[in-house]
Amino acid sequence: MQRSRFAILMGLALVIIVGMAWALSPVWAQEAAVGSEQPGPGVAGRVIDPLGEPVHDADVIAVGREGQPVAETTSQGDGSFLLDLPLQDYDTLVVEIERPHYVSREIPIDPAALAELNSAQAVRLPAIELERRITPGFWVATLSFVLVLLLIALEKLHKTTAALLGVALVLGASFVGGAINPDLFIFDFERALSYVDFDVIFLVMGMMIVIAVIEETGIFQWLAYQSYRLSRGRIWLLVTILMAITSVASALLDNVTTMLLMTPISIQIALTLGMNPLALLIPEILASNVGGISTLIGTPTNILIGSYAGLGFNDFLINLTPGVLASLLGLTIFIVLRYRKSYAAAGGQLSDAMRQRLKESGRITQPAKLRKAGVIFGFMLVLFVTGDAFHLVPAVTAILGAVAMLLWVSPNIEEMLHVVDWTTLVFFIALFMAVGALQEVGLIGIIATAIGNLVGGNLVATILVLVWSAALLSGVIDNIPFAATMLPVVAYLTRTVPGAESGVLWYALSVGAAMGGNSTLIGASPNLVTAGISERAGYRITYLDFLKVGFPATIVTVIIGTIWLLIRF
Amino acid sequence: MKKILCATRGGEASIRTQDAVIAMAKKEGATIVFLYVVDVEFLRLTARGVRPDVVATELERMGEFLLAMAVERAAAQGVEADMIVRRGPLTQALEEVGQQLGADAVAFGRPAGVDSSFSLSDLEKLAARIEEDTGIETYIL
Repeated sequence: MQRSRFAILMGLALVIIVGMAWALSPVWAQEAAVGSEQPGPGVAGRVIDPLGEPVHDADVIAVGREGQPVAETTSQGDGSFLLDLPLQDYDTLVVEIERPHYVSREIPIDPAALAELNSAQAVRLPAIELERRITPGFWVATLSFVLVLLLIALEKLHKTTAALLGVALVLGASFVGGAINPDLFIFDFERALSYVDFDVIFLVMGMMIVIAVIEETGIFQWLAYQSYRLSRGRIWLLVTILMAITSVASALLDNVTTMLLMTPISIQIALTLGMNPLALLIPEILASNVGGISTLIGTPTNILIGSYAGLGFNDFLINLTPGVLASLLGLTIFIVLRYRKSYAAAGGQLSDAMRQRLKESGRITQPAKLRKAGVIFGFMLVLFVTGDAFHLVPAVTAILGAVAMLLWVSPNIEEMLHVVDWTTLVFFIALFMAVGALQEVGLIGIIATAIGNLVGGNLVATILVLVWSAALLSGVIDNIPFAATMLPVVAYLTRTVPGAESGVLWYALSVGAAMGGNSTLIGASPNLVTAGISERAGYRITYLDFLKVGFPATIVTVIIGTIWLLIRF
Repeated sequence: MKKILCATRGGEASIRTQDAVIAMAKKEGATIVFLYVVDVEFLRLTARGVRPDVVATELERMGEFLLAMAVERAAAQGVEADMIVRRGPLTQALEEVGQQLGADAVAFGRPAGVDSSFSLSDLEKLAARIEEDTGIETYIL
């Protein structure tokens, strides 16, 4: 036990040291670069794409007399470059810029600038825009991504396998195809890895461990049973309480876990009350998908958005929670009206023995563990809320919470690492790379430009297009890859659409992608896992069953969500 | 006394099957053992961290609840019944439990149209395999 704790502490120390080194490395690199700067002639500039985004890793070559290269470098992450030129007389100089998927450019240095170079001064060029070029690599990356989406939507492959296949095709085209035809090159492996957002990976991993500890305590089941007890047979009240519980639990933990643990006991409650379980389960699913929107950790799409846009826990809480509450209110009214006949027809109470069984199912199984886990999770919430003030990113809070769970609540590291779903983490890593390939070849830019042209700089139109396209598409394709693809698009629109600098478009994507998951059975993971359990109880949720309730519910909640965004921003 | 093993879930289709098995047991003076098999294969549908062990435990509780309803139903009609919940693949669970109990028959519910998880041909294949592997008679009711 002592050795195990020591190992965990050493592991934690290692994580912190590596993390600090990672965080400080740009500072060190910058200091080193400043220290090595020598006075002398040079050409500085910045390379951008047609959207104004920096172009990194472009080859920049200064070509002198008779086409002889005199200096070369590559553009940095912000698109900037500095060519250190040797001291000599320059009567002609051309800066050549090359980058796969862009049209190469040659920039002749004018005589005035040449004079400055000859007096050992540096010159700065205006921003250099590179035009995009549609290459065979563009089609490989695009078709690979479409294939990934189709394989996931049609359930032909596990989504992790599908995403890995997409990455394999892209890297295969780059390394094997690129040797035959350079235009097939998309990016190298190092570049592919740079697209992986490790904040997301660590946040998801940390939360997996935290949730894994909490979920075995029986808290979800106890809450569901207490709803049944409190409602005293009034089914509209039971549904309202259950919807409230699932939405809050989804916001604070995870909507899939919430539904996985609420579904079996909800079925038992429904049978005890003599009603069809689907009339309880479908409202719970809808509430869980809506409730998750109100926090950074409530949905995977929010985790992606928060990390990419630099939005904190409080940003979601302040900007989305009131809209989510209004949507939940609208949803609850819709549900009570929609199922009023089913609720009225419920009857046929079971025996005392069955009610006792239900009570057993709804008890807290590990109270000591729940108390400890509750304390840690409470601290985590405090850190999520206050962390912005001292630049504590949510991923670090999640990791701290996970380590605290390991040290105090559930110290079996092997068991806890076993509960981390590595296939999910690999899915995210592969997805980031696949979307990175789309960015490399310029597809994201084309989509962003098209949406920009469509909305014509009108903020309200942009919000409407984003919310509703996200909502409708999330019903038919997985909303995680969809949101991941849309992140750079929304970043572009946030920069270019007047008034969007408030960040409203990020919230529009969040609302659309998460609420849209309610429109069809395949729209979100909680829908599918609930249907899986329900089927195992003999109550099948068909695609049509779900669509009949989910689609109008989506319309209701998205309308309310849109109105909230328009009022708030 | 004869023993009939009946794999069941819940829902209206299962209730019809349970009633048919109860009627069969009453006629033959047999006892019934209702079986619920927990499988968490559907968890592959989500790309999120979930604990199959915790979910399986919850499904076991749900299965016990569903089977307890079936046992009460049988008792109300004067037939003695018991229940077993198992984890794992359905065929394996049926064969193992059938042999352990020394069951004389295994009964299945006829698929109830498009809402059923099984097709009739799948069920017939399953029944044939169980008969072949264990020698226990099977019925599709």
